[in-house]
Amino acid sequence: MDLVDFARGPALKAAFIIFILGIVWRIVNVLLLRHKRILSEPRRSVGAALLAGLKGTGSRSWPHPEFIKRTVTGEALGYSYHIGLFIVILLFAPHIIFFGSFIGARWPALPNSVVTIFAVITLTLFVAVLARRLGHPVLRRLSNFDDFFSWFVVALLLVSGLMATAHVGAPYHTILGLHILSFDLLLIWYPFGKLMHAFYIFPTRAVDGYVMTRKGAPS
Amino acid sequence: MGRPDLEPTIGELLDRHGVSRRSFFKYCTAMASLLALPPLAARALASQLRSAQRPSVIYLSFQECTGCLESFTRSFAPTIENLIFNVISLDYDDTLMAAAGAQAEQAREQAMRSHYGKYLLVVDGAVPTGDGGVYHCAAGRTGLDILTECAKGAAAVVCVGTCASFGGLPFADPNPTGARAISTLVPDKPVVNVSGCPPIPEVIAGTLLQYVSSGRVPDLDAHLRPTVFYGNSIHDRCYRRPFYDQGKFAKTFDDEGARSGWCLYELGCKGPTTYNACATLKWNNAVSFPIQSGHPCLGCAEPDFWDRGSFYSPIPSPRWGKAGEVSPAQAGDIAAGAAVAGAAIGLGSVMLARQRIKRYQRQPPQQSEPRNEE
Amino acid sequence: MNTSPVQFHASLAPEEANLGERERVAGAMRGFAREIGALSALRLEACVHCGMCADACHFYIATEDPQYTPVLKVEPFKQVFKREASAFAPMFRWFGLKAKITGKELERWQHLLYDSCNLCGRCSLMCPMGIDIAELIEQARRGMFEAGLAPKELYEKAAHQRRTGQPEPSEEPYRDKLLAIGRQFNVDIPLDKPKAQILLTVPRTDIEHYPAAVAALVRVMAHLKADCTFRSDGLIAENYGYYAGSRDWQREISRRLIDQAVACEAKVLIVPECGHAYTALRWEAAELIGKPLPFKVLHITEYLAEALEAGRLRLRPAQVGATAFHDPCQLVRKGGITAAPRQLMRAMGIEPRETVRHIGYNICCGGGGGVFDIERAAPLRHRVVEEKFHDIDQTGAQTFLTSCSDCRRTFDDGKQRFNWELTPGSLLELVAEQLQGG
Repeated sequence: MDLVDFARGPALKAAFIIFILGIVWRIVNVLLLRHKRILSEPRRSVGAALLAGLKGTGSRSWPHPEFIKRTVTGEALGYSYHIGLFIVILLFAPHIIFFGSFIGARWPALPNSVVTIFAVITLTLFVAVLARRLGHPVLRRLSNFDDFFSWFVVALLLVSGLMATAHVGAPYHTILGLHILSFDLLLIWYPFGKLMHAFYIFPTRAVDGYVMTRKGAPS
Repeated sequence: MGRPDLEPTIGELLDRHGVSRRSFFKYCTAMASLLALPPLAARALASQLRSAQRPSVIYLSFQECTGCLESFTRSFAPTIENLIFNVISLDYDDTLMAAAGAQAEQAREQAMRSHYGKYLLVVDGAVPTGDGGVYHCAAGRTGLDILTECAKGAAAVVCVGTCASFGGLPFADPNPTGARAISTLVPDKPVVNVSGCPPIPEVIAGTLLQYVSSGRVPDLDAHLRPTVFYGNSIHDRCYRRPFYDQGKFAKTFDDEGARSGWCLYELGCKGPTTYNACATLKWNNAVSFPIQSGHPCLGCAEPDFWDRGSFYSPIPSPRWGKAGEVSPAQAGDIAAGAAVAGAAIGLGSVMLARQRIKRYQRQPPQQSEPRNEE
Repeated sequence: MNTSPVQFHASLAPEEANLGERERVAGAMRGFAREIGALSALRLEACVHCGMCADACHFYIATEDPQYTPVLKVEPFKQVFKREASAFAPMFRWFGLKAKITGKELERWQHLLYDSCNLCGRCSLMCPMGIDIAELIEQARRGMFEAGLAPKELYEKAAHQRRTGQPEPSEEPYRDKLLAIGRQFNVDIPLDKPKAQILLTVPRTDIEHYPAAVAALVRVMAHLKADCTFRSDGLIAENYGYYAGSRDWQREISRRLIDQAVACEAKVLIVPECGHAYTALRWEAAELIGKPLPFKVLHITEYLAEALEAGRLRLRPAQVGATAFHDPCQLVRKGGITAAPRQLMRAMGIEPRETVRHIGYNICCGGGGGVFDIERAAPLRHRVVEEKFHDIDQTGAQTFLTSCSDCRRTFDDGKQRFNWELTPGSLLELVAEQLQGG
């Protein structure tokens, strides 16, 4: 069994199991902690609050105009590399085959050259994100191992993917193996680090929208 | 030439056979281009070749289908006759030689004795090692025995075909005969793998010729294959590559994409992970190669190509266990299992957490009655 | 604007300083443990360290000091949660990935959790993940209190208020002061009626510093012919238990008012111009006593706006020139009272000039959440109020109103410090001056 077969075979299977298991574990652990009843008299109806919670999942995607001036760099960087990642991850032909085989569907791909351009841009943004994290006093103060390791895991995927595309560093087969292995690493790390935010972002926003709107407060 | 050696040089032999210098030079030019040498190198090749001695070659066949030899005999340049009669001295090949039985074995022993340390050993097929090697016997001896004996005095070993190079079909799971690649059985000799199922005839011939002309083992890749032929992937040299880059793929063998000659990646083409010269030298006198005729590359020049699931499963397909490509149902089952396990562990951890929280909460407050206020 | 980080030694009341390390840590664990639940867990887990909350916090904006990043203030709480109750808590413990908290470490957080947070909730509005950071800070304060690390001023005021009903000793009891204000302003103070529809409360700040506002409250209620009363045993609106971070004391202090409202069978409890008192009674009291309140809690501006809508209240136009209004954080961002003060101003012909920061998104006075009471926090709070003055100045307003006496007091203090031209006024006082008819 060579590297690729290991990476997309037993390693992938193990990583996938850890990924699902870890996510469910972590979410269950949050959900089943104590729930405190809210007893104060609501200002707005439960329906209105629920609706606002639902709305909040989307409306928080863009800060209130109030904050944009100060957060524009973070927003711009954050948005652009997320978009770049989504394009590279979901619209590259080999990735579509890979992810498609899990769900039994395939979807149209972007031309490789376009994806490659996005990957290069995304990697550049990623470097900028790291530089900002190291350079910005607040971010530097906040950062911990999780921040850097999660960055590293995703950056490793980008770099190995680009190396495979560009055929540099080692034979394609080897790089492909490393690329898939780094994806396995991502799956394994996922439930343990901040990458979990993908699962928390919408519930947290919804809860905030609900709680605040219940009081009639902005959310 | 005034050489004191007993054996005539190739040049002398050519002269003896009445091959003109002009046609020899033409031949060298063709070979030079085949070996991707610069045009000027043809001259050097010609002079090297002329002054070289024909090496003695012993060709052994083990677990093989003779496809490689069939391929080899279809070499167009240099032709097999050329090779046998002029460039090499094929002293033993039990398929091609007229002699048989004891006579044939004698020829082999004779060649080995008189060219000890200098002859070239060409091997075709994997060697079974299971059960004492009984799955391949010739002249009452096991293949392993014969190989060991012949390899001892060889200058180098050239493995022709994927079976000799990497084990190939006999080696494929579950490998009942304990077949092994030659390079794992001959640890102390230079080994050149000319993989492929079969290898391209020009690649076999070219590799031998390169050895003869230079007297050295050529540059090899990590799988001991001559980089001159195996340096690029099929994918890199594929004429359908632009379609891959544009994201245009045939989805089935009879769809519009297939008819338009689009990339066969999604139909399981192993071109990107296969290193061989098919896309450049092609087959049958450079007429075509599998992808050109509409079939994905099987990856036959790579180790374990039989054991990588369906030939039609795309390279990035996840493969879990021996069943091959993962199915959504299988992925779903595994995910459901993992989720149940995760929920169970989560339940456990949350109970533990709540217990701890409770314990901490029970610690007596020390401030409910401030001690010395006012 | 970059300054070296401001570091203070913890300021502790004597009984807090008495505590040993073990008691301190045990207390912190008890306090934090009580605050761990699904909601706080979700919020603590969701942070991606994007740092944007800093850009919403006026303490960071005014100082550019990264230690004032809101979510960083929650760190001890987060550390305890991760180590004790998160999914991977055992791993955090076994591999020592999250250390046990220590008293020394917590002491350093006193400055961050108390001096540099008004619990104003602006960071919660910014957070792209939707984390209510202000709520987490409030919860973290509760652990600090149990650890005996509430700042001396807040601890002592809370303890005093819990015992006596008023946050600090005074020459004459607040009840008597209240009656004196009635005499001074010639209003009839409704006090200790056995039954009333409405229970009135009063900010200690008004009694001490803005008696006219107390008189205004009484005058307006009288004008509306409201059946209302103050109660000697439940007079003060502020809740220092809330500021200090004591769940128990906050409950006991709130209970005092609730009991009085129940005793006089009030349908409504009116919170005067005090923001944090509103949060404590309107949104937190029911949770703390474990059952819904048997009466409504209304802020005075809400009550007046309702009267306005019902036609019971009519106001004369006020000749006050261009007017800016400061939304107290607890009333807007955490309380949802945005329209009421503007309705009242419009009824007096005032079109408020809004600050550059949008309604509900304005920055704070910098004094709320107990910060004004903490002596050593004054320099920091002054930088915030300076920022706020800047916003107000930009509106070009000549009159500046608010509806929280603590905001007002913070502004007054800032006015002295910076010789600000405007004088912060009370919306309620203005309403009382412009009453029409009846």
